Amino acid sequence: MGTQVASSSTQEIPAPPVGVMIRTENLWKTYDMGEAIAVHALSGVTFELERGEYVAIMGPSGSGKSTLMNLIGCLDTPTSGKYWLNGRLVSELSDDELAYIRNKEIGFVFQTFNLLSRASALHNVELPLVYSGIPARERLARAQDALRKVDLIERMHHKPNELSGGQRQRVAIARALVNDPSIILADEPTGNLDSATGEEIMGVFERLYESGNTIVLVTHEHDIAAHAHRIIHVRDGKIERDETVK
Amino acid sequence: MAVLSEPQALLPKLSPRVRRRSGFWGTSREAFWIALETLRTHKLRSFLTLLGVVIATTTLIVVMSVINGMNLYIADHFANLGSNVFIVTQMDWTMSWEEMLKAQRRNKSIRIEDFEFLRDNIHGYKNIGAQAGMGAVDVKYKGHTLREVGVSGRTPSMIDIGQAKVESGRYLNDTDYAHESMVCFIGQDLVSEFFAGLDPLDKDIKVSGIPFRVIGVAARIGSTFGSQDKFVHIPLTTFRKIFMPRPNLAVSVQAWDAQQMMVLEDAVRALMRARRHVPYHESDTFGINASETIMGIWHQLTATFFAVTVGIVSVFMVVGGIVIMNIMLASVTERTHEIGIRKSLGARRSDILMQFIIEASVMALAGGVAGVVLAFLISKLVDMFFTASVPMSAVLVGLFLSTAVGLFFGIYPASKAANLDPIEALRMET
Repeated sequence: MGTQVASSSTQEIPAPPVGVMIRTENLWKTYDMGEAIAVHALSGVTFELERGEYVAIMGPSGSGKSTLMNLIGCLDTPTSGKYWLNGRLVSELSDDELAYIRNKEIGFVFQTFNLLSRASALHNVELPLVYSGIPARERLARAQDALRKVDLIERMHHKPNELSGGQRQRVAIARALVNDPSIILADEPTGNLDSATGEEIMGVFERLYESGNTIVLVTHEHDIAAHAHRIIHVRDGKIERDETVK
Repeated sequence: MAVLSEPQALLPKLSPRVRRRSGFWGTSREAFWIALETLRTHKLRSFLTLLGVVIATTTLIVVMSVINGMNLYIADHFANLGSNVFIVTQMDWTMSWEEMLKAQRRNKSIRIEDFEFLRDNIHGYKNIGAQAGMGAVDVKYKGHTLREVGVSGRTPSMIDIGQAKVESGRYLNDTDYAHESMVCFIGQDLVSEFFAGLDPLDKDIKVSGIPFRVIGVAARIGSTFGSQDKFVHIPLTTFRKIFMPRPNLAVSVQAWDAQQMMVLEDAVRALMRARRHVPYHESDTFGINASETIMGIWHQLTATFFAVTVGIVSVFMVVGGIVIMNIMLASVTERTHEIGIRKSLGARRSDILMQFIIEASVMALAGGVAGVVLAFLISKLVDMFFTASVPMSAVLVGLFLSTAVGLFFGIYPASKAANLDPIEALRMET
């Protein structure tokens, strides 16, 4: 019965089963560069990701991995193809619906941290909850909880420029965690850090993975990708290799 | 099967949440604090940005408070002929210049016979009096000279009708009137000029070289377009004997109440027309003036003044609004990366739109508040040597207008911010 209901709402292709966190179906992203020149950033990417997986997407620059990350992160929509996130077909949603998905389902961790420089660590972590419409009191409690998870509770009133690079990235991780997202999407999270701090941050991801979070890591560094349990190699807009490491 | 359908059961939850505005208050509050923060961190920039709105609000409120102050003043001092009083004169005071020229030939002067005729033929009035003036006369006392003193001949009843009140001594009485006595009742300006520290009563002053004995002193009236206390009242009969045998009179009629005043006006009009044989199809050959007439002229004057102000204020407001729009556009560019971050964290277009519109409005409102404060200070200053009274309505209009300007001119920059592509915005490094 359930599948019948499902098929009616998603038309031809049935939704993936519960355990599947991400499923993409022949994703294409084409940029029209004018004068009839079309650049295919992605040409037919299909893969599946289970709940609780720790995956690295690897590839050199220009391979299309950033485009893929933008699509997975619901910052962009594919030119064609289908994308299910946590059982929802999100490849055809409107801008505001995508904003909602980003807010609820995705925790971003960026290479450049992307914290608001004028706001305290606490307020930065609260921000996703502001856009969820969570009341102030609950917001504070949850943001403090998230900061506690990354061991930054005692520095919560500091502004980003008063924190070290590693601490800033941990604030960003706390912000990614605060809304309890389906996936944590990290884009070169150690790219702006020295190797020792980078290892420390990778340790945080490891802990998150062990406590059951689904993590997607986008990187071009083998050492960093090696922390993941599965590596998807992307080249020329296609999946070149999909290997399970551990 | 039931387990399989579980994620699908989540689907219907999506759309309603997207449309719901539960986060509205939260994001508005966030936007409000961002706006205050921006004002705080960019003090000079905010000041320059808001100058237009500040000036516009200040101008509006100051002009409205000066007009309001003058209205109160005119109503209080100048237009106050006395309660329920109307004045019969040769010319209607509200006449335009051309009408005045025409009436000059047509209207005859009001003579003492007209006054006596009215006094004897209308009934039920509270008081009736007459006066004739000659203005700009030199008055002397023991070597001191006061120039341009208003000298008028009056009937004793005028004390109950006009503005002057007796402070010491007495007013002209019927005996003075009947005997054409050489006595006078003087205003405070003459007291301070001639009798500083002295008792003015029973002293002789020279009006145009002719001695008059001071029998009474008026209480201070104040000033409207020059002092109102620079006068000498003498009996009308004396005035006619000494200065002007057949003066042009102003006859004041005082009624018991406003309703009777209208009845009396009609009675006077009918009597005067009959006396002067004015045909029914022609207009009056005399004027009947009341406090309302003066207020009417005054309001006509201020309406023009006000209309000009509204024009100027609108220009200021539009200029102020454009400056705000300009700064907001710069701010959107400056904060593109921040907008990208907010969007990546789930801010909807409407959240970003609200943030920037609220920021523009709060900024403009701050300008409005500054304008109100400035206007209060200026009004206080103006009130010291002129007159001004800030009406509450002006403050409200000022605040409302400035906020509205911020709101309106914030829409374009805000929609620009809201429509930014999150990926592009995130890529923009500051």
